[in-house]
Amino acid sequence: MRVGLSAGIVVFAIAALLMGIPVPARAATSSPAAASPFSSAPYTVTWNGVDVSTATSPSSAISIDLSNTANLLYSWSLGTATANVSDARLQMFYFGYAVSTRDEVRTAPTTSSSGSIPLNWAPVSVSYLLAGVYRLTASFIAPNGTTLWSENFYVRGTAPLGFVALIPIVLLLILVYEVYALVRSGRYAALGKTVALPPESPPAQTPPSESGAPPESPPENPPPSGGSS
Amino acid sequence: MSAASHGAESGVVLGIVIVLLLQQVGSLDLSDLVPAIEYLVIGGVIGGIFGALIGWALGRSYLARHSVAAASGSK
Repeated sequence: MRVGLSAGIVVFAIAALLMGIPVPARAATSSPAAASPFSSAPYTVTWNGVDVSTATSPSSAISIDLSNTANLLYSWSLGTATANVSDARLQMFYFGYAVSTRDEVRTAPTTSSSGSIPLNWAPVSVSYLLAGVYRLTASFIAPNGTTLWSENFYVRGTAPLGFVALIPIVLLLILVYEVYALVRSGRYAALGKTVALPPESPPAQTPPSESGAPPESPPENPPPSGGSS
Repeated sequence: MSAASHGAESGVVLGIVIVLLLQQVGSLDLSDLVPAIEYLVIGGVIGGIFGALIGWALGRSYLARHSVAAASGSK
């Protein structure tokens, strides 16, 4: 059991490392100013009315309830310039991988200097597993797939049962089992050292008869007679 | 297996659990792969070392106490 547990942890770590090969699935870590030909101000994303640019660090993460739907609004106002935004994308990352991606695609994207795209995100299916601080990326995508603008921000999600989610419970159960195994191992080691093995008792013998003749005890299972072919 | 090795196993698990719990309570960010793996490895190594030491000490104390009890009981 414990060997299987250790092997499982090693396999998990190796799988996590091997999954790093498809790098394109990972988020671009470029700064918003570098990813956009415009300044970062014309593009704004709000999370339930809160500008996500105010939550660019884990310490300033937006507190959210992962069991409720989040209402995001992607808007841009470029002044004299124009842009063709065809897709508003929201991605949540865990261990460097997008565990959740939500796209709001415009059916007929047109070049415009301003506009907005509402996006609703309901992480219900994973809410019990994702309590904690997570990095999200909000992106404006052009029809050719290029990223017009993106921004990383952090949210602190609370699951319906708080941090008592599925994974911590399983891990804590494993921890309790390991402590129990430690105590049991020490007890067995002590028993093996302190308790001596009992001496082998001789087989029960019938008392010899008064005449001194050896007791006749027919064998219970007489050997078979020699086979003759 | 010795008590020290059992303690090391428990410590590795405890170190990983602590890292994940810190992320759950918002003290640690595991969004990026490289620092997340580093946090888990560091937590596992430190937990394993401390677990081995604690297991070794517990095993010795347990053996000392119970061997004395067994010796006095046999007289």
